[in-house]
Amino acid sequence: MSGQTVANLMRGHIEALAARGERTDGRGANEFRDVSIETGLIGTAEGSARVTLGETTVMCGVKLLAGTPYPDSPGRGSMTTTAELACLASEQFEPGPPREPAIELARVVDRGIRESQMIDFEGLCIEHGEKVWVVFIDMHILDYGGNLFDCCTLAAASALAHAKIPNVQHGIADKDVDLPISCWPISCTFAKLGETIVLDPNHDEEMVMSARLTVAHDENGNLRAMQKGYNGAFTVDEIKTAVKTARTADKVLRKALKEATK
Amino acid sequence: MNPSSSKQASGRSVLLPGDKLEADQKAGSGTFRRDGESHAAVLGFPSESSGYVNVHPLAGRYSPRVGDKVIAICVETGPSLWRMDIGAFQNSMLHHSETDWKVDFGDTASFIGIGDAALAEVYMVDGSGSHQVTLKKDDCRKLYAGTIARISPPRVSRVIGKQGTMITLIREKTGCRIQVGQNGFVWIDGEPEQIARAQKAVETISREATSRGLTEKIEKLLE
Amino acid sequence: MAGGNSDIKFIKKGKRLDGRKPDELRKVRIEVGVLNRADGSCYLEWGNNKVYAGVFGPIECHPRHKQQQDRAIVQARYTMAPFSVNDRKRPGYDRRSSEISYIISQALERVVMVEQFPRAAIRVDMQVVEAHAGTRCAALTAASVALADAGIPMRDIIPSCAAGKVSDTVVLDLNKEEDNYGQADLPLAIVPSTGEVVLLQLDGHLTPDEFEQAFDMAYKGCMDIYEIQRAALADRYGGSA
Repeated sequence: MSGQTVANLMRGHIEALAARGERTDGRGANEFRDVSIETGLIGTAEGSARVTLGETTVMCGVKLLAGTPYPDSPGRGSMTTTAELACLASEQFEPGPPREPAIELARVVDRGIRESQMIDFEGLCIEHGEKVWVVFIDMHILDYGGNLFDCCTLAAASALAHAKIPNVQHGIADKDVDLPISCWPISCTFAKLGETIVLDPNHDEEMVMSARLTVAHDENGNLRAMQKGYNGAFTVDEIKTAVKTARTADKVLRKALKEATK
Repeated sequence: MNPSSSKQASGRSVLLPGDKLEADQKAGSGTFRRDGESHAAVLGFPSESSGYVNVHPLAGRYSPRVGDKVIAICVETGPSLWRMDIGAFQNSMLHHSETDWKVDFGDTASFIGIGDAALAEVYMVDGSGSHQVTLKKDDCRKLYAGTIARISPPRVSRVIGKQGTMITLIREKTGCRIQVGQNGFVWIDGEPEQIARAQKAVETISREATSRGLTEKIEKLLE
Repeated sequence: MAGGNSDIKFIKKGKRLDGRKPDELRKVRIEVGVLNRADGSCYLEWGNNKVYAGVFGPIECHPRHKQQQDRAIVQARYTMAPFSVNDRKRPGYDRRSSEISYIISQALERVVMVEQFPRAAIRVDMQVVEAHAGTRCAALTAASVALADAGIPMRDIIPSCAAGKVSDTVVLDLNKEEDNYGQADLPLAIVPSTGEVVLLQLDGHLTPDEFEQAFDMAYKGCMDIYEIQRAALADRYGGSA
């Protein structure tokens, strides 16, 4: 992302509001924006989802291709995650190969899904040591309105939950079956505005935040991935409070995910 | 075959780029001429003034005009000038001699730093798209408190309203001081909660400028 | 073009395999102003093709050495999402995307009033999220609408459409199977008010007579697309000001 000069007055105003427990869009400190999930829009993908969180929109496509397993896990499938900050999503996104912010984003989403063992990789073995399913999760950011981490994790989880293994197309079995899913990771991202921590930062809040913290839980309330970002810092108490908050704040996203993947 | 030739610049139907204007009208702003005929250059509604037809764009970035009051944000400081973002495709220059301060060479940043805002006036625009602003006009000054919101420049007149009715309504209901720059940058100062309410009102008007009953909607929003 | 596959009969009883007549377009739908951040945008479905287009500009031109002292440049960029095709496409830019972006930029510079914005750039980004043949025409069609939605001064709105040949028959707007196994593809883009041709490619095999027939068919297809573009923009801005 190239820099856009932020008005100092806007920074001061957003921080002053946050200190009073208020936000520019009228939300409470630990409230998510409206979320909507649509699945199955892309016919060429084995699973797909378009997720809108406030003014952010992400399209995620899941492709499954037959490939060779890694030598150290001959009986397990594998996965690859990418994120594309498409130029039409923000004036600050520049054309060219993925830079650090896109790579970080893809890796954090990848960790949430991988470490929660959301996908049962053993169930993706076609022929031990020879052939397994490789899951490609490709996230296309179409509209940047803040908090890409949570929107992308939700888009990836929704697309995976909806994905079918293309047995028929590859002549492996006579029926396509659901991707084996064992767990539901959801992430909650916090921003530090002045001395205040808020959930699900919007565009303007991300322009002025000093630090960012992403916390991914599974549905049992266990931590599966975390990431601290930006050059500001959190206190120990802020971290512990955020982790606690995330455990309950993710309910609204879980509900949306559940409804979209029924 | 050509649908644009059948659409005329009359009534309130929206004109699209390339649409032909009525033959007896002279081409004003937002138009172009081809083969002796006038056409709309931008998506917008036509209006006539003293024999000219202008097409007022419904979208688009700010294009500076001399005399416009704008809100400017400093993006770069030089030894004797500042480069200011006014939402145009080139940054505007503010020379130290266009302020009332006595600025020593190389000391610009102690008067206006990067990210600082000012209410300024466009005083020069040249053919290559370069432009300069000044602080030596009525009301122009550095802005020290409040926030800056951004709206679509073609919607500025809607936010101000006929004879300033809309902006007066927002000022009265929120107790905020508000300056709407012609460039779509809006300065709002007051209590933080009231600034947030005023900002929401301003952004709603910009977003829904073409919908009916907007004044009532804004009144309700600010109750 | 795979050079033609005579095994498949693409026309039966005057109808194509997807039920269309030879000179019939696939269904095209355009929704204007779908993105929050872009200055102008649209979402376009053309058959099963799905494309987003977004415009930023005029903005400062980067990199600086690409600036033109007397005009703006149109930086069009066409990208296909990895999941947009059956065999996953490697993410990022390839030679095909580069060529398409380049010719779309040049087509758009014919109508965009670039002389009004010296040294600036007008960025047009096209993201194909599902591809079933004809995506360059779909992308350029969407780009023109997004430019109008962004309030960019233009002399006209450019539509684009292709014609081609399958089973020795000239047809409009090839679908994926026709494109894969057909004999020729001729994408075209025009300036409707002047009749100027601003994009033209051909690959495959056409006799001179077939070329004339395909060209006229594609031209007429462009005019039909133009009506859809206009209707979508009028629909978005039809309300009173």
